[in-house]
Amino acid sequence: MNNLAIIETILRDRRLFFGEIREGVELGQKMRAMLISSIAFFALYGAVMGSTHSLWQTLSSAIKLPVLFLATLVVCSPTLYFFNLIFGSNQSLTQNFALILTAITVTAVLSLSFTPIVLFFLLTTSSYQFFKLLNVGCFAISGIVGVIFLGQGMRIVSAGGKEGASARRNVVRLWILVYAFVGSQMAWTLRPFIGAPSMQFELFRQLGGNFYGNILASIGEILGFVTVR
Amino acid sequence: MNDKPLSDQPSSRVNQILDLLVEEIEERIQARRRATPPVKSKAAPPPPRVEVERKNALPEPQVEARVHPLDPKPEPELPPMSPGPSHAARMMGRLALGLLVAIVLINIPFNRHGTTLATALPDSAALVVLDGLVVKEENDEKVYVYQNDQFRWISSLDAFEHFGYTWGDVHIVEDGYLDRFEIGTPLHVLLKCRNSPHIYRLENGEKRWIRDITTFEAEGHVWEDVRSVSCGYLRDLPDGETIPPGSGPPPQP
Repeated sequence: MNNLAIIETILRDRRLFFGEIREGVELGQKMRAMLISSIAFFALYGAVMGSTHSLWQTLSSAIKLPVLFLATLVVCSPTLYFFNLIFGSNQSLTQNFALILTAITVTAVLSLSFTPIVLFFLLTTSSYQFFKLLNVGCFAISGIVGVIFLGQGMRIVSAGGKEGASARRNVVRLWILVYAFVGSQMAWTLRPFIGAPSMQFELFRQLGGNFYGNILASIGEILGFVTVR
Repeated sequence: MNDKPLSDQPSSRVNQILDLLVEEIEERIQARRRATPPVKSKAAPPPPRVEVERKNALPEPQVEARVHPLDPKPEPELPPMSPGPSHAARMMGRLALGLLVAIVLINIPFNRHGTTLATALPDSAALVVLDGLVVKEENDEKVYVYQNDQFRWISSLDAFEHFGYTWGDVHIVEDGYLDRFEIGTPLHVLLKCRNSPHIYRLENGEKRWIRDITTFEAEGHVWEDVRSVSCGYLRDLPDGETIPPGSGPPPQP
């Protein structure tokens, strides 16, 4: 429960939280709390997504969804750190890591809050394409709020260093784009998370196509333009 | 009265005023009590007590300020934050726990086919049409499999089993669903027994002898489609038309 209290601080008093990250107050404890909570929340969301297919898919998605976000974090953290360093930031890699983890935690908490809605649609609709788009929408909203937190956190944590402040802001904006691309490609690589009803369970699906094309095709099918084959 | 020191006089006047004030407050409280019907609820706040001893006591500025009826009520002090988890944290914990229970519940099979609450809504809209998709229209016995952009009828139970399908693979779709798709050639299983060189195609419960290799290949068959069965089983099957038709009486295995 102490972990959840730390998460609540992020949501209620983010300035205090980011201020403590800037001062390096109990970074280890904060990161541990965020890590545990994010893994738990994403695992629950993943389990609900996978429940549409089979028990194996439920377990698989419960593991793969936290891996997706944490792997994206690991892949993208160094870029943000070194680019910030070039433009005069005095943050440590741990502080950078904590900030991105904060964004991921916010995304995880919001995803958790969306889970009852996803569960409701899981039990009341049967359109695979709709369910897929619903989940993409939930993640998009949660992710956007998460990166907004990241932007605010970056401003607060690097408030001391005036030199290169605007350049660092641009770095964060560009990094958010990179983060979104890496995240979507990671999701495409680790798919399936829902599992097409007509297909057998598979841990990973063979590569081919791309995330954006698939989403457009799903929208097309829902609107009646195409049939996804 | 005149014997009293002058310095005591203002003090006694203040005491008198305060006494009057206290009496007035007591009267008003009594009046309110009489006017308000008694509430048995436990939650009802107890009436304020005015200490009698204070009649003769010297007034303390802080106390006087609290008792004075014209003063605005002092803002209640907020209780100190409890060190335990607050509401939102508890809410998160309960939500996570509730979801965990829900996930377990919707994944418990409730019939012998292993259907769970989460997968209990079969609908063609939920299907992704890919190679290997097996469907059956609601009011039709025929089972079709999707191969190379067309649905092919699986012509027999032997063929169904031979190609490795199970009833769990069959998705029930609404009538007319297949009208939207191209229907390909039926999917047959070819039967052969160990002691006979002849190959038969199973169709509608009858065995149809394939005359030669040229015909076999011309029909688009491959050796992987040939299923080995016992000669007795093969002999028991009724003979159908030969392939190609009119090739004479079919040899028995």
